[in-house]
Amino acid sequence: MHIMEGFLPLQWCIVWWIIALPCLMIGLYQLKKILAADREALPLLGVTGGFIFILSSLKLPSVTGSCSHPTGTGLSTISFGPWITSVVCAIVLLFQALFLAHGGLSVLGANIVSMGIVGPVVGYAVYRMLRDTSVNIYLTVFLVTALADMFTYVTTSLELALAYPAETGGFFSSFILFMGIFSVTQLPLAIVEGIVLALVFKYIVALKPDILIRLKIFSEEKINAARVDTS
Amino acid sequence: MKFRYTLEALAVIAILAFSVIFLYTSSTMSGAEFAGSDNVGSGLIADLSGIPLENFKPLIPQWEPPSGEIESCLFALQAAVGGVLVGGVFGFWIGSQKKA
Repeated sequence: MHIMEGFLPLQWCIVWWIIALPCLMIGLYQLKKILAADREALPLLGVTGGFIFILSSLKLPSVTGSCSHPTGTGLSTISFGPWITSVVCAIVLLFQALFLAHGGLSVLGANIVSMGIVGPVVGYAVYRMLRDTSVNIYLTVFLVTALADMFTYVTTSLELALAYPAETGGFFSSFILFMGIFSVTQLPLAIVEGIVLALVFKYIVALKPDILIRLKIFSEEKINAARVDTS
Repeated sequence: MKFRYTLEALAVIAILAFSVIFLYTSSTMSGAEFAGSDNVGSGLIADLSGIPLENFKPLIPQWEPPSGEIESCLFALQAAVGGVLVGGVFGFWIGSQKKA
């Protein structure tokens, strides 16, 4: 999903930075508040952030004959919301821009918006819709993770289509072309990522249910039901 | 309903299916280079804009890993940072649980 350095016109770089910066500031504020209130949130942040580091470094082959990487943002989105997730993503994307020439500093705002903001916001909306229903916890984690991943790539397609509308068909035609490259490649990866992170969440539920309840990530009844179902 | 190892089984099936699909695709799809979708996307940008790929220059100067090996090393480092965080915390949680 990385837009490479120099591949986005300056005006679009500025637009995406203007959108990304307030979200990062809200994320930093929320992070400070959560860690001040409960230091035990820090290990959970380590695990959820750790998966963003791991999964976004894995370039996997897909059905389209090209490679792509998962985003790993689902667990962080469920546990801490999209704004804190945007801060973790910004750290990963900055590392990749500085040391791997994947992305870049001018396009960092656009890449933060796709991977750290829009994907997690969509995932968070799904989580909030399903959190208080009878839908199984692990199915919720699967859907949040897979959709956060997919919408990251839909957003990258949107960002590029806005900057490079096709001569015939304009923005829409260009968007379809970019979706063909990014989103079709991503679909199988998003499904596998959803299943793997649902499994990881099972181990978090088994080992540290109290922090999930204290942070009000899921209700005590749902956490206990999930523990009984999978123990 | 109890489903003790359902998620583990699903994860194994998904990873196996993914691997089989990759092996099938790579053996049947002619011209599949398995390049990064970022690079394929950059190629489409060049096509749509009519600007040759080599004419896209960084707006902010950028350091590039001098070789593919160094790039792999740095990607592995990134994954290792994540692995240390995940493994460290899970180990800490398991240790605290045993202690309690």
